[in-house]
Amino acid sequence: MTAVSADPAAGRSWQPVAGAVIEADALTMRYGSTITALDQLTVTVQAGVTGLVGANGAGKSTLIKILLGLLKPTAGHAAVLGRDCATDGFEIRTMTGYMPEHDCLPPDVTATEFVTHLGRMSGLPATAARERAADSLRHVGLYEERYRQIGTYSTGMKQRVKLAQALVGDPLLLLLDEPTNGLDPAGRNQMLELIARIGAEFAISIMVASHLLGEIEQICDHLVAIDGGRLLRADSIRSITQASPVVLVEVDDGLAELRAELIRRGLRSVGYERGILVEVDDPQAYDVIRDAVADLGLPLTRMVQRRHRIEELFRADPAMIAVTGGSSVS
Amino acid sequence: MSADAAPVPPTTGQPAAVPAAGGVIHDIGYRRYEGQRLGRAQIVRALAVQSLRSSFGIGRGAKAKVFPVLLFALMCLPAIVSIAAMALNPRQGQLVGYDTYTPGLRALVLLVFVALQAPNLVSGDLRYHTLPLYFARPISRTDYPVAKLIGFTTACLALVEIPLLILWIGTISQVHGASAVWHQTRELGPGLLYGLAWSLLLASIGLVLASVTGKRVFAICAVAVPLFITWILATVLSHIGLRIFQPASGGTPPALASLAGLINPFTVLGGIAEWFGSAPKVVYARVALARGGPGPGPGPGPLVNLVGHFGPLYGVMFLVMLAAAIGGLLVRYRKAEIA
Repeated sequence: MTAVSADPAAGRSWQPVAGAVIEADALTMRYGSTITALDQLTVTVQAGVTGLVGANGAGKSTLIKILLGLLKPTAGHAAVLGRDCATDGFEIRTMTGYMPEHDCLPPDVTATEFVTHLGRMSGLPATAARERAADSLRHVGLYEERYRQIGTYSTGMKQRVKLAQALVGDPLLLLLDEPTNGLDPAGRNQMLELIARIGAEFAISIMVASHLLGEIEQICDHLVAIDGGRLLRADSIRSITQASPVVLVEVDDGLAELRAELIRRGLRSVGYERGILVEVDDPQAYDVIRDAVADLGLPLTRMVQRRHRIEELFRADPAMIAVTGGSSVS
Repeated sequence: MSADAAPVPPTTGQPAAVPAAGGVIHDIGYRRYEGQRLGRAQIVRALAVQSLRSSFGIGRGAKAKVFPVLLFALMCLPAIVSIAAMALNPRQGQLVGYDTYTPGLRALVLLVFVALQAPNLVSGDLRYHTLPLYFARPISRTDYPVAKLIGFTTACLALVEIPLLILWIGTISQVHGASAVWHQTRELGPGLLYGLAWSLLLASIGLVLASVTGKRVFAICAVAVPLFITWILATVLSHIGLRIFQPASGGTPPALASLAGLINPFTVLGGIAEWFGSAPKVVYARVALARGGPGPGPGPGPLVNLVGHFGPLYGVMFLVMLAAAIGGLLVRYRKAEIA
């Protein structure tokens, strides 16, 4: 990023970082004067499967549209595969497949016709479009059904067609917006397996936007969490989930006594809703908690391994900070 | 998988039994596409060709072909009748001209064609929110409507001009001598150009009106109703003009009669034909009738054009309508939601 004034592109002071799949630099998007969809978002996404997590309205879809070069950000820069989203939208859209969140399929054509047509629209010659449409539909698990009109499909099959049309142009990057929307648990798992397989076996980088962290953490290598258009956290899944295991202990009463007892026994804990979050650095800690509850004779209702819930991430995890920092919140 | 990790080579040709699907699936792995990719212009062309095909129901099942085929046959009828009449009676000249053909039939056929087919081209992508899939590809917000317009104009062109070509072929096969053939061919030229004006105007108006709504039935109405109402209104107004105001002694029709046609694309196109001096006989007859002629025939008096001196105004109106329709179409897709 050395600014050389003799450079013909001197007007463009911003240069994307080489090697990054997605890059956002102080990206800001405002609609009118009141709504801020993205607020100074700076994040770099490497190759692999990346989860983009945020509640509805956190700015996930806005980010995807900016990355595709369809929206012009109010301020800041974004790049996909080393191309500036503001100027190289066409090139980016040639190399990127997009699966929208909403329904986007006409009911009165067959999946084969539809995906073939969109393959053409991705720039494939007619024969290649037909071949790749058949391939893509096979990869997402549609076989004989692909000659049926899309209107006769189940929700799960429709989601697969949406994925196939994103895949047909042989993208280097897939942007998937809430791919498990509207699916039942079995369908969700199948879709997630499919995405994981595309990421691992097809060597295509994927960014999956979802409001369900628990769901996509299974398949992601990296996680980008945003809230209110701001970056909450961007890290590898491993570092997020392995940071510090926590157990939530709930007792019907005697919460304060239990906390005091746990601190006395050398465990760091913090009050959380109607229970206590206890840091468990080694497996011994589980026994210590059990003994503490037993010794105090408290009615134990629940003792669960905490899974990160999206809200915790969104609150910048005050409970976790408190636990790891050893300070008291409640 | 991190950036520096080598991609997993796809397993090739290994049959993998997948019992869940109830059969053996041969996993030939993922194949990358290494071939040539089309440029933006070629993608637009592909979309235009697809729009042209679907305008005639090609690739859309048998039911979708019924109306286009019927309308096409109807449009060819005058040409076939004219050729047949010439064949039966060698002294009989052409019944219809290359320029105006049969304006009433042409307008009616195009009205139905545009009202039925323009919604097919654009309302589906709006209704089913398919547009974002286009715009997420190397297609701009201008490319899409331009491709649709090229495709649909070509479809209208085929509907308007293939009958002219049939008429021309049928006629030159019956005339004798090179000069007669040359005469026919020279007549055909302006007819084809005029047909292009019809196709371009009707296709662009049809598409911009159809693109206001994603609901097909409403889109059909959005196209048909304004075209039909203004057509009726223009015709009625020009008749009122001819009835109420007696033309001046110079033989100029009253301004109301001359200007009424400016409100409708069909009458604008008709006005242009009159401006260039090739109005159908019926216009002259109507003017003569309004001037107090005893019968339907024009009588011995001088024949006048309905548009009078306002011919150039019809030319301007044609351009205004065309610009408004195409401009409106481009603005429509510039503002289209990408969800």
